[in-house]
Amino acid sequence: MAHRWGMAVDLDRCTGCEACVVACRAENNIPSVGEDQAQKGRAIHWIRVERYYEGEFPDVRVKFQPVLCQQCNNAPCEPVCPTYASYHTDEGLNGQVYNRCIGTRYCANACSYTVRFFNFFNPAWDKPLHLQLNPDVSLRQVGIMEKCTFCVQRIKSAEIRAKEEKRELRDGEPAPACVQSCPPRALVFGDLNDPESEVSRLARSRRGVKLLGELGTQPNVTYLQRNEWNDNNT
Amino acid sequence: MERRDFLKVSVLTGATAALSGCEKPAHTLVRFIPEEDLIPSVATWKPSVCTLCPAGCGLMVRVLPGEAEVVRNGKLGTIQMGLAKKLEGNPNHPVNWGKLCARGQAGLQITYHPDRVRSPLKRSGPRGSGSFQPVTWEESIREVVSKLQELQSQNQSESLRFVSACLRGQRHELVRKFLSAFGAPAAMVFDPLDEPVLRQANLLSFGQADMPSFDLAHTGYVISFGADFLGTWNSPVAQSIAYGEMRQGRPGNRAKFVQVEQRMSQTGANADEWIAPRAGTEGAMALGLAHVILKEKLRPAADNKATRLIAGWSQGLAEYSPEQVERKTGVPAQRIQRLAHEMAAHLPAVAIIGGLPLAHTNGLFNALAVNALNTLLGSVGMPGGLFFTPQPPSENAGSWSSESDFASVLLAGKLDGTKVLLLHNANPVFATPAVWKVRETLDRIPFIVSFGSFVDETSQLADLILPDHSPLESWLHDVPKSGTNQAVVSLAAPAMLPLHDTRAMPDTLLEIAHQIGGEAAKALPWENFQEMLQASMAPLRTADGINPPPDPEKFWSKVQEQGGWWSDKVRQAARSAIPQKQLVTEFAPPQFDGEESSFPFHFQPYVSQAFLDGSLAHLPWMQEMPDALSTVMWGTWVEINPKTAQKLAIEQDDLVEVRSQHGKLLAPLLVSPGIAFDVVAMPMGQGHESFGRYASGRGANPMTILAPMQVAETGSLAWASTRVQVSKVGKAKLALFSGGLFERPSELQQR
Repeated sequence: MAHRWGMAVDLDRCTGCEACVVACRAENNIPSVGEDQAQKGRAIHWIRVERYYEGEFPDVRVKFQPVLCQQCNNAPCEPVCPTYASYHTDEGLNGQVYNRCIGTRYCANACSYTVRFFNFFNPAWDKPLHLQLNPDVSLRQVGIMEKCTFCVQRIKSAEIRAKEEKRELRDGEPAPACVQSCPPRALVFGDLNDPESEVSRLARSRRGVKLLGELGTQPNVTYLQRNEWNDNNT
Repeated sequence: MERRDFLKVSVLTGATAALSGCEKPAHTLVRFIPEEDLIPSVATWKPSVCTLCPAGCGLMVRVLPGEAEVVRNGKLGTIQMGLAKKLEGNPNHPVNWGKLCARGQAGLQITYHPDRVRSPLKRSGPRGSGSFQPVTWEESIREVVSKLQELQSQNQSESLRFVSACLRGQRHELVRKFLSAFGAPAAMVFDPLDEPVLRQANLLSFGQADMPSFDLAHTGYVISFGADFLGTWNSPVAQSIAYGEMRQGRPGNRAKFVQVEQRMSQTGANADEWIAPRAGTEGAMALGLAHVILKEKLRPAADNKATRLIAGWSQGLAEYSPEQVERKTGVPAQRIQRLAHEMAAHLPAVAIIGGLPLAHTNGLFNALAVNALNTLLGSVGMPGGLFFTPQPPSENAGSWSSESDFASVLLAGKLDGTKVLLLHNANPVFATPAVWKVRETLDRIPFIVSFGSFVDETSQLADLILPDHSPLESWLHDVPKSGTNQAVVSLAAPAMLPLHDTRAMPDTLLEIAHQIGGEAAKALPWENFQEMLQASMAPLRTADGINPPPDPEKFWSKVQEQGGWWSDKVRQAARSAIPQKQLVTEFAPPQFDGEESSFPFHFQPYVSQAFLDGSLAHLPWMQEMPDALSTVMWGTWVEINPKTAQKLAIEQDDLVEVRSQHGKLLAPLLVSPGIAFDVVAMPMGQGHESFGRYASGRGANPMTILAPMQVAETGSLAWASTRVQVSKVGKAKLALFSGGLFERPSELQQR
């Protein structure tokens, strides 16, 4: 059976440490735009940690929430693309074909999660910083959209390795860079078509919710709500 | 599968897709994906060691072939070589088990930084002007050797000084041997991330001057006094891994986590309960909890070294009734009652202290109080509690406790007779209060040699820069002091060849020792650092490690392969050797510099999530990483409570002046709900004058305006003891990631 890749984000484990943010940057050749452009809202982060304050001092609470492409099954970004640059892969990903994209930015407007980013510049790295670039991920030129791919290159790589060794993929074997790095294991990745996989089990959790689920986008990412402490839960 | 076969397969599937596509023309374009873009490269993964903070995590480096412009034999050329592409955690390393923090991952950019020192440099202008000219290694080493021989011939060996960040393992051993054979004083440690106050308290309470480790994965209740243990403090990756388990790793058993601090840290943001007592009264609060536990006999009274240090313990801490503690701390008596009961009902419980509470004048008292509370809770050396990382059996594993503190040497005026200063990995000009006049003191030293990879504020004063390799280009050796219950020696060969005309500091030091001859050459017989490491690892072969291979050569390759040596899982109870010195401490209110009437706010600098003490401000990935709480990129800010801002009639994005009795700085204002009314907080790390193109001239440095207050008994800098005033001077603009991700309308208007 084909895979359907999905992720679970346990907000009770997430500490807001930003390890995922830098892992993504390193893996996917995401350019740094500098202070002036960042001020204009042009910084690119395929995954971000959102922070919500609740209450006033001294009764302040914070909620961290990592947000990346939700890899919707019913993705608003896909039908609006006039060049089929946004497409749905066989394994359930919202793909983006860079050399088809003509930069209409319709997909970014349609996306409910603000996880698509426009390239305002050709990417540039002060030499020899370019030597850090990952050859498995193409660079995006000026005028096109880019987004989280669930590290499709890492999924492919794991699939090829498994095929070479004549075996099935193990649960948790393909891991996007963010999942690989996450110290408290807040991010879990796997095959939603395998009911026994860890991600499937977590997706069925009573704490599980979909981000803006009422929109009907049917994301492949499930958020597990943070628990409240009470005296009886020992 | 060969690449060729894979191409065949993808061509085939491509053809099938095209064929089936012919039947449904509308689908042809949608289904065709350029598969060749998705062929991943075959990488080599090499173990390495993270050197960016004292945690000492194990790394795996993804290495791929690529073309690089390098210097070989003094000539520039393009060669194909293995290039480090990504850093991940070493999955078998007992500190970080495959995980890695944001900073550790960004360490990759140190190697490829465009502003690295690419060859030895000699000062060519006035000191501090930043003008240097390249020189050869032979020339520069000869110059150092002749200076040192001059000292020896004039019987002034003791006027050689070495200042460094915390050194561990064989790098430490090499420097120690070199200095003692030469006749120079032991190295001075300058490391703002070190916690000398806590290590001193642990020596007094538990007989061990080390950082503690915590078994958070098995605990039932955690109370942390100021420790940013999920962000920057101690061994953050190890602690975060355990935190995940403590929250959701045991079905039906989710521990409670209480954080006590005046400004909500990234760690505090995750707490179930957040409490802000008055600054510097954390120890009193800990003893208030102990009072309730003792009085109501919630736990058997403990009587040992840790508790005998606290005045009034045997009388049940009569002066720390919840009501008295409320008057000292501002935390309601009922809340203290409740917390003490909760804690005792959810054992094992553990208390942690770190960061700001240790940086008050009464920091040692605060630490001893928390140590005593842990003892009362029965958590010392127990599952779910506090323990110390066992150390490897080899005696030469090395620690930094024998070294003297740079600040105490400086403040005692003992740096003045220095003739030659060697500088390794420390930037005291940047990270000290301006009133200490470190720059001026160093200026009086006739000859300064830096091993720095960057011309930072301190290296700028050097007469000679002998650039070290980047960590990924070096032999690395480390002995973690916390974060694991296994004895660990991390070891790694270079993950890649050097890019520039640099040399590993240990090799440079060995070369210098050999050229000096005499005692120094005798004490350091090794041809290079690699030889020294191989010799130091040999005794571990017969120690109780993981599958020790029988022959030494195989052992040497095996430790390189796995990234070091570690013992089988052993939990070691805390040592209880009684130290000589007995002191009984009672609560002394924290002292502050500046009158409350004219300087109404406590100034609390804190270790930055991205830059730590400022040593990582040169990395663009760290600059563009949004801070977790403020979401600021590329800047510094001053944090203040919304109500306080309202009172002062200032608002977000105002440029404010923060003034202490010892200086002032300018920074944009950030209004934040997670901070006490009388506190102004500011992250460390920005405000570099000289630290590469991404950090220089950016933001402000809070350390500069600190008062020269010291922690009682230990003498280290009490960096939370400065009072300040705040006033608006103009407008500024912070680059925030929060508040919407669309382009800002102002930008559209400008077009």
